[in-house]
Amino acid sequence: MNSRPLMTVRIAAAPLQRLGAVPHGIRTIVPVTGGEFEGPRLRGKVLPGGGDWLLLRSDGVLELDLRITLETDDHALIHMTFQGLRHGPPDAIAALGRGEIVDPASYYFRTVPRFEASTEKYAFLNRIVTVGVGETRSDGAVHRIDEIL
Amino acid sequence: MTSRLLMRLQVVVPPPQRLGAVPHGTRVIAPITSGTFEGPRLRGKVLPGGADWTLLRPDGVLELDLRLTLESDDGALIYMTSFGLRHGPPEVLAALARGESVDPSRYYFRTAPRFETSAPQYAFLNRLIAISSGDRRASGPIYTIEEIL
Repeated sequence: MNSRPLMTVRIAAAPLQRLGAVPHGIRTIVPVTGGEFEGPRLRGKVLPGGGDWLLLRSDGVLELDLRITLETDDHALIHMTFQGLRHGPPDAIAALGRGEIVDPASYYFRTVPRFEASTEKYAFLNRIVTVGVGETRSDGAVHRIDEIL
Repeated sequence: MTSRLLMRLQVVVPPPQRLGAVPHGTRVIAPITSGTFEGPRLRGKVLPGGADWTLLRPDGVLELDLRLTLESDDGALIYMTSFGLRHGPPEVLAALARGESVDPSRYYFRTAPRFETSAPQYAFLNRLIAISSGDRRASGPIYTIEEIL
């Protein structure tokens, strides 16, 4: 499969909202306060107001469900969503939970981002399938997103 | 980003249900009557009852929304869903619509499958992100599905 880098997005998060055990698993909501993105064809910032709706399943896999708005440096707004999975060895996941830096190669954090844009310059985003490799940070996350060619 | 082959999935699609113009675009529902899948770790058949709920958007992109049940050769049931996009030059899409054989590199047909199963030998499917590249044959698509590592 061929791919090429689309962008790296850094997401800054506010303190987590921990709902606890809901019917499908353990629900945690991550409010997104900001961030930035950069790639060969676009760059800018992450606007506040989005979030990631996390669900920790009974099999230990964390499901992610993100919605954020990006604003390019030329003031175009882009709607970004993704669904993803994160899992790994218990000690790696526990270290992430404590806010420690963990080598991303030691856990599996993969997402499938989708985009919506109305401006001609960024309309290509409406037509691509992408995959992200995620890295949990103490204050949010970083996602390296590739366009699937 | 690295990946490895998960399976090749081939489905049989009889003439679809053409609903026409609905609020979001042109809706065509393609029921799937049968098929087969084969990969290094699993193989079997596609059970009837699935379908692809397609939507042709005003920008010419076809959104794909597939739900299928697979049955492995050892009797396990696997639920597969996938969202995807298909688009290409008008003359290429017209040739596909006429049922002609078209080199898949001439159009973009990419999907992101997800899986659910209770069978322990296939539980790895519950934990992976996958991407597929489609080849739209006249009798139905062939998906080459890769696991994102």
